[in-house]
Amino acid sequence: MPIDYLPILVFFVIAGLFGIVALVVPAQLGPRRPSSNKLKTYESGKVPYGDARGKIPVHYYKVSMLFILFDLEVVFFYPWAVLFRKLKLFGLIEMGVFIAILLVGYVYVWKKGALEWE
Amino acid sequence: MDWISLLLVPAIKSLVVVVALLTGFAYLSYVERKLVARFQVRYGPNRAGPFGILQPISDALKMVFKEEIVPLNVDHVVYLLSPALTVMPALVIWAVIPVSGASFTLFGQTITPYVSDVNVGLLYILAIASLATYGIVLAGWSSNNKYSLLGALRTSSQMLSYELPMGITLVSVLLIAGSLSLVDIVQAQRGVWFALLQPIGFIIYFICGLAEAGRSPFDLPETENELVSGFATEYGGIKFALFFMGEYIHMITISALATTFFLGGWYGPFVNQIPVLGLVYFLIKVAFMIFLIVWIRASLPRIRYDKLMHFCWKFLLPLSLLNLVVTAVVLVLVG
Amino acid sequence: MSDTTFEKLRAQFPDAVLDVSEFRGDTTATITRETFLDVARFLRDEPDLQYDLLVDLTSIDRRDLGIEPRFVTVYELYSIPKNHSARLKVPLPWDNSTEMPQCPSVAAIWPTGNWHEREVYDLMGIGFTGHPWLHRILMPENWVGHPLRKDYPLGGEPVYFSSDRDNPRFAHLGKPIMEGPSYPSKLPDDVDSETHLVINVGPQHPATHGVLRLAVELDGERIVSVNPDIGYLHSGFEKTGENKRYEKFIPYTDRMDYLAAMNNNLAYVLTVEKLLEVEIPPRAQYIRVILAELQRIASHLFWIATHAHDVSGTIHSLLMYALRERERILDIFEMFCGARLTTSGMSVGGLRQDIPGAFPDAVRSFVSEFWKRLQDYEAMLTRNPIWLSRLKGVGILRAEDAVALGVTGPMLRAGGVPFDLRKAQPYSSYDHFDFDIPTATEADSYARYQVRMREMEQSLRIVEQAVNRLPEGPFCTDDRKVAPPPRSEIDLSMESLIHHFKLYTEGYKPPVGEVYGMAENPKGILGFFLVSDGTAIPYRLHVRGPSFVNLQATDLMARGHLLSDLITIIGTIDVVLGDVDR
Repeated sequence: MPIDYLPILVFFVIAGLFGIVALVVPAQLGPRRPSSNKLKTYESGKVPYGDARGKIPVHYYKVSMLFILFDLEVVFFYPWAVLFRKLKLFGLIEMGVFIAILLVGYVYVWKKGALEWE
Repeated sequence: MDWISLLLVPAIKSLVVVVALLTGFAYLSYVERKLVARFQVRYGPNRAGPFGILQPISDALKMVFKEEIVPLNVDHVVYLLSPALTVMPALVIWAVIPVSGASFTLFGQTITPYVSDVNVGLLYILAIASLATYGIVLAGWSSNNKYSLLGALRTSSQMLSYELPMGITLVSVLLIAGSLSLVDIVQAQRGVWFALLQPIGFIIYFICGLAEAGRSPFDLPETENELVSGFATEYGGIKFALFFMGEYIHMITISALATTFFLGGWYGPFVNQIPVLGLVYFLIKVAFMIFLIVWIRASLPRIRYDKLMHFCWKFLLPLSLLNLVVTAVVLVLVG
Repeated sequence: MSDTTFEKLRAQFPDAVLDVSEFRGDTTATITRETFLDVARFLRDEPDLQYDLLVDLTSIDRRDLGIEPRFVTVYELYSIPKNHSARLKVPLPWDNSTEMPQCPSVAAIWPTGNWHEREVYDLMGIGFTGHPWLHRILMPENWVGHPLRKDYPLGGEPVYFSSDRDNPRFAHLGKPIMEGPSYPSKLPDDVDSETHLVINVGPQHPATHGVLRLAVELDGERIVSVNPDIGYLHSGFEKTGENKRYEKFIPYTDRMDYLAAMNNNLAYVLTVEKLLEVEIPPRAQYIRVILAELQRIASHLFWIATHAHDVSGTIHSLLMYALRERERILDIFEMFCGARLTTSGMSVGGLRQDIPGAFPDAVRSFVSEFWKRLQDYEAMLTRNPIWLSRLKGVGILRAEDAVALGVTGPMLRAGGVPFDLRKAQPYSSYDHFDFDIPTATEADSYARYQVRMREMEQSLRIVEQAVNRLPEGPFCTDDRKVAPPPRSEIDLSMESLIHHFKLYTEGYKPPVGEVYGMAENPKGILGFFLVSDGTAIPYRLHVRGPSFVNLQATDLMARGHLLSDLITIIGTIDVVLGDVDR
């Protein structure tokens, strides 16, 4: 029922308020004595070489792509799992085929070396 | 339905949960410091108040009154918002976790032991848990610091990766419970805990939980020996405290969810006769899980990052799929 | 041994050898600059000689000795397979028309020469032709002058006291005085900071064990190169030593490798004793061995504590357990000399005082308990799968690379070379004790872990034997020119009183000459090079810190590994910055 979500919305508002209060109030309470050394980027006390927002390793991108692929497929499990007791053997076979297809993709990804952290 | 039961009661309940979580967080940090200290033949905090029990309060006050430092090269809006973005999801997950089995009546209102029992509770939890990644990635990117960036990338990849086996394992739980509602899942464990029906599932969940919360031996998010403080390097004062809070509340949440999914939630002896025992059992089980997590922290070295990813993708993921298939087959055979 | 060396050398290069001299068992050959590189290569490659280890490379400014040419470089060579050593000196003619005298670089023959030559360039102002990257190493890049030259002034910093508060100089008291001077730190030319991420690990970083800075070039998370930048802790110990009497330098040795003060003391007093040629009574030698081996255990304990802490993320329990045991060793030191960390426990000629009566029992009780504790530590780590996966195959340093880079101590032994000075050239009656040299073959971090754990066991064995067989007798030499007479004698004997007076007003005056002394420290060979001009103050004092040399291997060990492994590798080198920077 949609009305069930109203309390969650209320919770969101309260949690959000907490976050904002926690950020704003202490900022007013504490002292402020900025100096140029204090506001420098920290890199072990040295002047950094270049900007931090440069190129980042591609593995991280790969991981998020794989995550999206697999996670989307995992989402299909949920309605199936809820109805599993009604679907019985039919559900099992159906999902067996689905998992088999998923596994093909998984094996492909593994063989391609996408799971290697290199 | 009037506005009291629609808005006021949830609002008060949310406040209670938030306050309970913040207190829990504060004293969890105390308990952890004490426990780890005892593991390591130290005393831990023992100056603020008897046995140091006022230490969390003094820490909180210190954090609140710290100087606000915003480095020059950061992206201001994102930099300031990301701590809140990390702590908010950690809090709102608790909207659907039932802490006890018994409702009670107060001022003519029936008070349920959860903020809301939605019929997609489990999906809600997974969805909200993923949101915490945003806070971390944005914090790392906006800080304009190499340690932060690398730390944030590592953390987000780690959290994303371990969500997969965790999600698949929870499907096995769903198969047995047949409902996404957390209340129903707990009630399905009236007879026997899912930890006994799903021993492998429980272990996978626990490992993934450690990784999701960034706890040792998967504490790559902090990696203080390599990346200083990971994504939180440029944060200080209350902003750092919010990240810290997010991590610790995450740890409580993981323990609470383990209790709900695998350890029978509020169930225990005599809980039908004395309903308030439900809450006590729930808290004891959560405390036990937290103790386990702290114990692990005091004993194990940290896994290297590539090994951590390999472990997830090449071992946990297939294992959780296998666990799912076996569960489904057994369920069909048993009927 | 060395006689044959120089006979061969003379036969091979008749014009190269200008002079051969011997003093206190050390043979020194003076080689012309033009033929030096050929001679060096010959000494390394000739099968009968095999001088594979360049222990030390230093230089002397002979201005005040009145010898021409003014600058000379000194090479201390050692052959691990043949167990013999030799010293080469190369005088560097210099007509003041160029900025500094030039010497051919040996970095291509013994790669360890790289940093040694940078140090000589930095502190003495000698150029090395053919050096891969000749930049200052200990002093800041913009420093003026070369401090170890004899014409470089001492001190010069005015000291202000609190009564000077009205001085306008202190108008900024309590406020930030100035912007921290931030020099653009130079990177070697082959570092590609455009496409690769160059990240500073240190000096203010949780994992660098002090003020070490590593500029790490990363391709993704893989390490392309590591460029250690040292000198943050440099305090000019050598210059200080050249302006103090021999005896007064002992407290400085405490502060070099401050985790192994006793071993540093021992190495230094052995060198001075070699210069003076004094006999040390057996009781003093045994007590020295006990102290040095306990210190070795303490140093290794500190290493395992911090290493476990580095490899695990959060505070690992082993940190506290190991430090608890180390405390007991420090208690024993305190019982002996009143100090725990900077002990200054030994003196030239023996010991400062005899051990107190409770000392042997305290040592015995520690030894018997520590055997059990060591089992506990092994149980926590040795077969822990996470520990294994973090250490195995990480930071491989093969024996031949280690020798070429001058790496000694457990890091060399983990590569399979059973080289330990305590066996090879026993000093302080180490030959009286039965012990083994633990080695491993894998040459990775895990091998080094194993070697150090086994070394603690061997040290325990030595301590056990020494304390059980402790001979009676005096605790220091009766040579009154070196060691002060006992208090009781001073009241009775005029001669003793004079000795006492002379010793504390003038010190002892060793004969003219130069000696090189080495000892096996927990981290490798600690060497002292002393040049005496006949006065009570050393003319030249040079220290070879094992950490300084071992640190040079970081780049080789870390290349191709992940950033996380760098932390393991720094831990496994067991670097103490006081020893590196001196």
